[in-house]
Amino acid sequence: MSRKTLIWLFLAPTLIGLGLFTFLPIVASVLLAFFRWDIITPPEFVGFDNFAEVVTDPTIRVSFLNTIGFVVVAVTLQLAVALALAVLVNAKLPNLIKSFFRSVLFFPLILSAASVSIIMSYLFNENFGVVNQLLNLVGVGNVPWLTSTHGAMVVVVLVYVWQNFGFSFLLFLGGLASIPNEVYEAGQVDGASSWQQFWKITLPLVSPTTLVASVMAIISALQIFDQPYVLTRGGPGDSTRTAVMVIYESAFKQLEFGKASAIGIILTIVIMLVTAVQFRLSRRYVFYG
Amino acid sequence: MMQLSRRGVLAGAVGVGTVGLCASQWSRLTGADIPGRHDDSLSIAILGTNQDAEARQSLVKAFTAKHPDIPVRLQAVQGTDWADFFAKILTMVAAGTPPDVCVVATEGAQLFAERLAEPLDEYVKRDAAEVQNYFDDVHPSLIEAFMYKGSLYQMPIDFNAANMYLNTEAMGRAGIEYPAPDWSTQDFLDVARRMKQAADSTFVPFYWTNRLWGGIVPWLYINDTSFLTEQKADGGDWLWEQFYPAEAGKRSGGYLWEGSNATDARVAESFEFVRALVHEGLGTSPAQGGGNELVGQFSGGSIGMTPAGGFWVQGLSAAGLKPSDYDVAYFPKWRSQRHQFGAAGYAILKTSKRKDEAWEWVKFCTSLEGMQLAFPRPETTPTRRSMCNEALYSEKGPAHWKIFYDTLDNLPCVPIPAPPQQAAVETALIKNVLGAVTGSAADLPAALSRLDEDLSRALES
Repeated sequence: MSRKTLIWLFLAPTLIGLGLFTFLPIVASVLLAFFRWDIITPPEFVGFDNFAEVVTDPTIRVSFLNTIGFVVVAVTLQLAVALALAVLVNAKLPNLIKSFFRSVLFFPLILSAASVSIIMSYLFNENFGVVNQLLNLVGVGNVPWLTSTHGAMVVVVLVYVWQNFGFSFLLFLGGLASIPNEVYEAGQVDGASSWQQFWKITLPLVSPTTLVASVMAIISALQIFDQPYVLTRGGPGDSTRTAVMVIYESAFKQLEFGKASAIGIILTIVIMLVTAVQFRLSRRYVFYG
Repeated sequence: MMQLSRRGVLAGAVGVGTVGLCASQWSRLTGADIPGRHDDSLSIAILGTNQDAEARQSLVKAFTAKHPDIPVRLQAVQGTDWADFFAKILTMVAAGTPPDVCVVATEGAQLFAERLAEPLDEYVKRDAAEVQNYFDDVHPSLIEAFMYKGSLYQMPIDFNAANMYLNTEAMGRAGIEYPAPDWSTQDFLDVARRMKQAADSTFVPFYWTNRLWGGIVPWLYINDTSFLTEQKADGGDWLWEQFYPAEAGKRSGGYLWEGSNATDARVAESFEFVRALVHEGLGTSPAQGGGNELVGQFSGGSIGMTPAGGFWVQGLSAAGLKPSDYDVAYFPKWRSQRHQFGAAGYAILKTSKRKDEAWEWVKFCTSLEGMQLAFPRPETTPTRRSMCNEALYSEKGPAHWKIFYDTLDNLPCVPIPAPPQQAAVETALIKNVLGAVTGSAADLPAALSRLDEDLSRALES
């Protein structure tokens, strides 16, 4: 048996799995975007009609704008919180305490997003929620967290960031650990303050990790669904409706599977473009030691 | 790198083959072991959990005793609401594994009637003598809700009208008597204001959820309007003449909701009423979905009134409420006192190869025996009038439990407005209601205009 045959033999199980469960559905989704299909009646070829509908549908347009706005705010907040906490935990603390914080701060990530969102909907309930009851104690009236346009998006962002910063936090911890102590010692010798050390040493040297963390955070945030779906169902109005929510609603509520596929393709292209831009920018802002 | 010889590879292949052969002989579970798969069972999908399916085993056993030649398999399909459930049924259809019979609520009745369900007309005509007792016991409004373009698609087994639940502790605190049957919206406001005055700041007189049943719709109905145009289809005379001769000529071949009515002046009036209610602090900003916290808050005394139906009796009892802790009244009267209801029943799917067996299941489940087995507790309102009795509600039901069925007898009742595009229509309604009732009065026309656009788009699909 030739070496080449052997290689293909070993690769076959993975390739067959990928082909059946990844590539085939992708190809099917792309093809579906050119058909009108409601599951019940046979698919009908409609060319680019689904894409034209997507572009002109005001709800879908608002959903994409919401998603972009959400990504900008949530990812910035997520990375800032994760880096700040990573720097604090990376300080000269006993290993036991470091382990404790690592576990506690990572913990929200392993919870189900739907369960967390249900609990948060209780906490942020306008009339009966704990958050408003605490605010009442300090003289603040009931805030319509989930029933006002801005309040709803604020809660979605907070819940998402709270649940997801743990992963970026772990990445940053790894990145910080790889910065040699000698660099900080040299900075101290030169009289750099803690703040200067952070801006001039930590931030540049942790930039490769920031790139990875931001790429992953943006891709994940662009696909946000669970939190707004459970907390607000996309409301009030369309204020928290996101791109993936309209994919779900088009497919499973309106039975427009072709249109849902078209939205999915557009979202994929957006994700690819954003990632490409990030890597392009990384040439200027990322320092590899 | 290690070089593999031809002999080595062959030996490895033999080894893998031997292990594979042993594994294939090992006793294990496969898809074929799933009960009912690839057998001749009648497959029945219900909305609920495996526990819900288990709770209906007595129904299955009784059916099997009567029809030992028809094996039955109950499939519990979980969903957050009916739209979610229907989406999963459609996915089963797409996967080529549709159930033979499926529980369908008014929310999906016309979607199923238009695309998936088999009309029951011929079966009902054929077995008229057997089903006569069912129709004698069930209010015609419930039957009309499941007529579509002249044909009957389901025989409903349970329903819930949107009545008004009242917290008796809050009433007592404010010195309020049980309302008159024809209490007005002004009376309702008076009750709400007095309840609020007599309670602390955490108390809310009126709680409501933002959904098709029990949301804005009851307020539209009592103002003799709706957010969709409402017409009735011709046909269905065969049923009314046969089973409800007194209704022949008055009843129709089913409802048709084909256009948006969101810009109607009375719709604006109803929305303004609810908007003012919210702004005065008498009503909550409507919770999305099913209002998970509702049972806890109502049983804890934080809510004075809320729209609910007979389905809530068991839940409140389980939450520790005594019958004297709450009561139920009709929804208040405005221009009319038209009530909203939702109902559900079994539909036979067009794709079923066991339609005759499926019909036997439908007949059994609508018989008195079948319905008594299905509804041993007041978790919903059975469609048979004879079952809404003292025995069902004793020790659990509120003092005026008779209202649950009397609503149909004493007041005009209309089903949830649910055209075949129900999911898209519901999405359009829910997303616009919140903004309309939490914004200013000046913003209301614009909000209703957006609702009109969204509904028109949804109905085009």
